[in-house]
Amino acid sequence: MEPILRIDDVVKKFGEVVALDHCSFAIESGSMTGLIGPNGAGKTTLFNLITGVLQPDSGHIYLKGEEITGKKPFEIARRGVGRTYQIIRIFPKMTLLENLIVVGKGKERKMVERAMDFLRFVKLEEKKDDYASDLSFGQQKLLSLAQVLMIDPQLILLDEPAAGINPTLQNELMASIHRLNEEGKTFIIVEHDMNVIMNHCQNAIALNYGQKIAEGSCSIIQKDERLLEHYFGR
Amino acid sequence: MKTRFGLGIILVMAFLISVPFFATDYWITLLTLILIFAVYASGWNLFSGLTGYTNFGLAWFIGVSGYVSSLLIADYKWLWLFAWPAGALFTGLVSIGVGYILLRIKGVYFAISMVALTEGTRELFGTEYLTPITHGGKGLPFVAGIRLPTLYWSILLVAFFSMMICYKIFSSKFGLRLIAIREDEQAAETLGIHTTKDKIIAFILSAFLVGLAGSIHFTYQNYIDPTFAFNIHLTLTPIVMTLFGGVGTVFGPVIGATLFTLIHEILWAELTLLYMAIFGGILMTLILFFPQGLLGWMKEKRILPRIRKI
Repeated sequence: MEPILRIDDVVKKFGEVVALDHCSFAIESGSMTGLIGPNGAGKTTLFNLITGVLQPDSGHIYLKGEEITGKKPFEIARRGVGRTYQIIRIFPKMTLLENLIVVGKGKERKMVERAMDFLRFVKLEEKKDDYASDLSFGQQKLLSLAQVLMIDPQLILLDEPAAGINPTLQNELMASIHRLNEEGKTFIIVEHDMNVIMNHCQNAIALNYGQKIAEGSCSIIQKDERLLEHYFGR
Repeated sequence: MKTRFGLGIILVMAFLISVPFFATDYWITLLTLILIFAVYASGWNLFSGLTGYTNFGLAWFIGVSGYVSSLLIADYKWLWLFAWPAGALFTGLVSIGVGYILLRIKGVYFAISMVALTEGTRELFGTEYLTPITHGGKGLPFVAGIRLPTLYWSILLVAFFSMMICYKIFSSKFGLRLIAIREDEQAAETLGIHTTKDKIIAFILSAFLVGLAGSIHFTYQNYIDPTFAFNIHLTLTPIVMTLFGGVGTVFGPVIGATLFTLIHEILWAELTLLYMAIFGGILMTLILFFPQGLLGWMKEKRILPRIRKI
């Protein structure tokens, strides 16, 4: 079967710094993959390339077999790629409901219903008329997930979804992500907390200095000598 | 609530329409100016208030449209009724190109480039190369053959029309998308919003409405020259009026334009020598204590509901 996402020999440089160095991998549809690696390994750059925020210097990116390299971010989003940011980037001076409606498509009434469904999904329906800036950090992360769901993405990229929020909210968030995964959505998750990756993902890809240094199921990754050396400094 | 609001609008409109039947020319003139600036401010707010791209080239819209309509009336003997929309349409059309090029730069760079565009056009229109078309720096006096009440009703109609457009847009999904651009353009784009397209549409709409009022403005003055048409005051005054009434609100710019013009008029009449100093003081106080403008402040204090339709 055609993988939902295929990264083929992608190179991205920032001046002299090689952020991604001939990186290649594929993501199977319906999977949940952890993307790990130390700071500056190229994880966020990879997300920026997949979503079209940055263009690769060379290499190709395919979504469901179609090349998306060089496409604009909004085109890639409309083809089914959703993404949340490490630093939350919701729209602060808009209400929660507006935050969702603004990215929705279709008839007004139906869309508002859908938006309310997603707000219920992340348990924020009671705050629908509050400004997003009034939410706590963790709640903003949940809102950002609900917002991404509005564009009905098949592939969702999460940049440190669990960082900086309390364990209860973290569990809720991860439970929501699992439910979505069971519904067939594919996830790639960047996370520094190895426990989150090991407990929640089937597969992991490890990056260092822009190179893929390991790939496989989480149980294998956990035992990879080279990775342990890079990641934990052993 | 809705019917009361509608009734209020009808009453205000009925009063404004009837003004020329009982008021003196002074009052008609004053209202005409208020309405012209209300459209300038609303047009500025429609683009800049929503998208956050501060347009410091409002005078460019005004000047281009003013020139096109004035030349059509003076040299080509067009009727004002056709010259005005022609000027506005022309401005809207050239704004597509300008928007396409300049709307990819943000913040202070966009603001400065719009100032540069305005200043450049002013210089260009005054040069001898363009004198055969623009009449150069010496300016162009002309008579449009329109009576003051007709002019007043025209700008009233235009103002009403732009208010309707703003009202519709501010509470529409298009308006929300523009606000999303203001809040975080890149995030908006990765959520599937075609930001470039939305920005350009808003920019053109703004150019058209402001241009229409600009055409009427110069017909009212019966005179146009480059310094006058592309004057930085025509950019700054509507911006200050909008800040005064409330950036990003539907009715803020109109309220701002009205209060600003009236205060200006009273101060000028009573304290001619000191009026600029006092006026500056009032402005600084307002910006310090009510940075969100009158309507923004009232929304914050929940004197008015926090809805996008106000």
